[in-house]
Amino acid sequence: MAAPEPPETAPASAAAGERRPSVIVSGVDITYRVQGAKKSPAPSPEDDDESLFRGLFRRGRDLATMQTVEAVKHVSFVAYHGESIGIIGRNGSGKSTLLRAIAGLIPPTNGQIWISGEPSLLGVNAVLMSKLTGERNIYVGGQALGLTRAQVRARFEDIVEFSGIGEAVHRPMRTYSSGQAARLRFAISTAAAPDILMIDEALATGDADFKERSAARVAEIREQASTVFLVSHSNATVRDLCDRALWMEKGTLLADGPAEEVVAAYEATLPKKKPPAKPKTPPAPKDT
Amino acid sequence: MTSAPGGASLPPALSAEEAAALAKAHGLEALGGRPPFGTYVRTLWRRRSFLWTLSSADAAEKNSEDRLGVIWTLLNPLLLVVSYFLIFGLLLDTKRGVQNFIGFLSIGVVVFGFSSAAITKGTKAIVGNLGLVRALRFPRALLPLSVTLSEAIRTLPAMAVLLVLMLVTHEPVGLKWLLLPVAFALQIAMMAGLVLMGARLLNISRDIGNLIPVAIRLLRYLSGVFFSIDHYARHHPTWREILNLQPFALPNTLVRQSLMTEFPIVWQFWGVGALWAVGLFAGGLWLFWRDEAKYGRA
Repeated sequence: MAAPEPPETAPASAAAGERRPSVIVSGVDITYRVQGAKKSPAPSPEDDDESLFRGLFRRGRDLATMQTVEAVKHVSFVAYHGESIGIIGRNGSGKSTLLRAIAGLIPPTNGQIWISGEPSLLGVNAVLMSKLTGERNIYVGGQALGLTRAQVRARFEDIVEFSGIGEAVHRPMRTYSSGQAARLRFAISTAAAPDILMIDEALATGDADFKERSAARVAEIREQASTVFLVSHSNATVRDLCDRALWMEKGTLLADGPAEEVVAAYEATLPKKKPPAKPKTPPAPKDT
Repeated sequence: MTSAPGGASLPPALSAEEAAALAKAHGLEALGGRPPFGTYVRTLWRRRSFLWTLSSADAAEKNSEDRLGVIWTLLNPLLLVVSYFLIFGLLLDTKRGVQNFIGFLSIGVVVFGFSSAAITKGTKAIVGNLGLVRALRFPRALLPLSVTLSEAIRTLPAMAVLLVLMLVTHEPVGLKWLLLPVAFALQIAMMAGLVLMGARLLNISRDIGNLIPVAIRLLRYLSGVFFSIDHYARHHPTWREILNLQPFALPNTLVRQSLMTEFPIVWQFWGVGALWAVGLFAGGLWLFWRDEAKYGRA
């Protein structure tokens, strides 16, 4: 399924005619400011009332401190039309932050991002309005993605049918199961036929039937010469749906190449659950 | 070429100049900047139907919480009028200088009620909707504007109550009642401008959010909601003018002039109102746009 792409990035000057870039990320840093979060000193051995009292004051002082967290550090890559790119890595490695930056939702602290067309990000955490019915959320989401009211109305039936939530579309979204909500979000964001589709963990939540349909929808979108980004913890999903993978580790881009290769290398560093089919190297210690 | 564990590799990155050249060669757009102000305003206008969808969704969301729903938008102002009447009309007797005190008071309560709700909720439109801001890309000004608009929609039933109260208190129906929508429109524009400024301020420092209820409380006492500024400040002409013409008192006066016979229409007030509306709205939009790239971070 994964058609191997040439691993090397096209040289800037001789940009090949058939490979049109859709996203260019150049030297992007993303730094969060966090207020009042500071590493607290190890609890003292005499953990009595007095130290508790002093701790109270110390916490007051900590509130004024600002800490910066480097979520993404100097990431550069070029994505092309028709590519499907998986972003893999451990929790907190900056995958979702990078995706949001490409979607234009988090401005990079340093560096520059160029895109062609309008990105559409679909995340499991994409909070639509949970108190409102699925129906209203389809209108809010669809219009936020740039569709007109009439276009949303025209695609309404398709969206409901694809999501498979049926009559539940008239119930408030807070009554949905996480699977139903994720399916509806997927249906909304693919309805707009985006130039760049970004999927954040959403496909893990559906049942087998939905997974199949969504894989077909992703393939369809790629055929329209769009670029698909997929953040997933499921290495199988990345292998199935992506031809290229980016491996993020502690905010830096560790590897970029054919999905098969990168996922295998990533799996090799994971704590061994069951032996992977053909490990290339013995599992490295947890910290790489 | 950097090597990563497991044989996977990282191709060499383009330099910043090469990346820029590649982007230019293929006509890619730079992300993260804010569009020029003119483009921004045009985008907002193009997406006005989205503004409407957001506003009505927002109003529906608020009403869906209570079992009586929309009835509360009628009951709340009535209950407020009754309690203010008990305190200020009967106990403290602030009705001097006003003949139809119930009419006077109910206009103050409903009209200032909209200002207060719009400011309180609208300034939180960005920091309270980070989920939406981080999930979808749209001109951020739509959020504060939609909250202002949805509060205006929620005020409409109370406006109907006002008209009924005018009839009950023997105010004659006249042509000048047609000015009520004009006064309300001017007020919406003024509040939208202030809400846009407040939403940006709150995004810069959330601590400011703690001051807003205090400021609203103070303004309620300074804006002639339950006493006549003209009467109580009659010995201080400068203060009287300042208090009368500030953007929280002026809408009260404009609505009273449209609905009550004892307040004849003074066109100078309407002129000042129009200036406030245009100035605050344009200024608010411009100030909000300055930070467009910063909403949603941290």
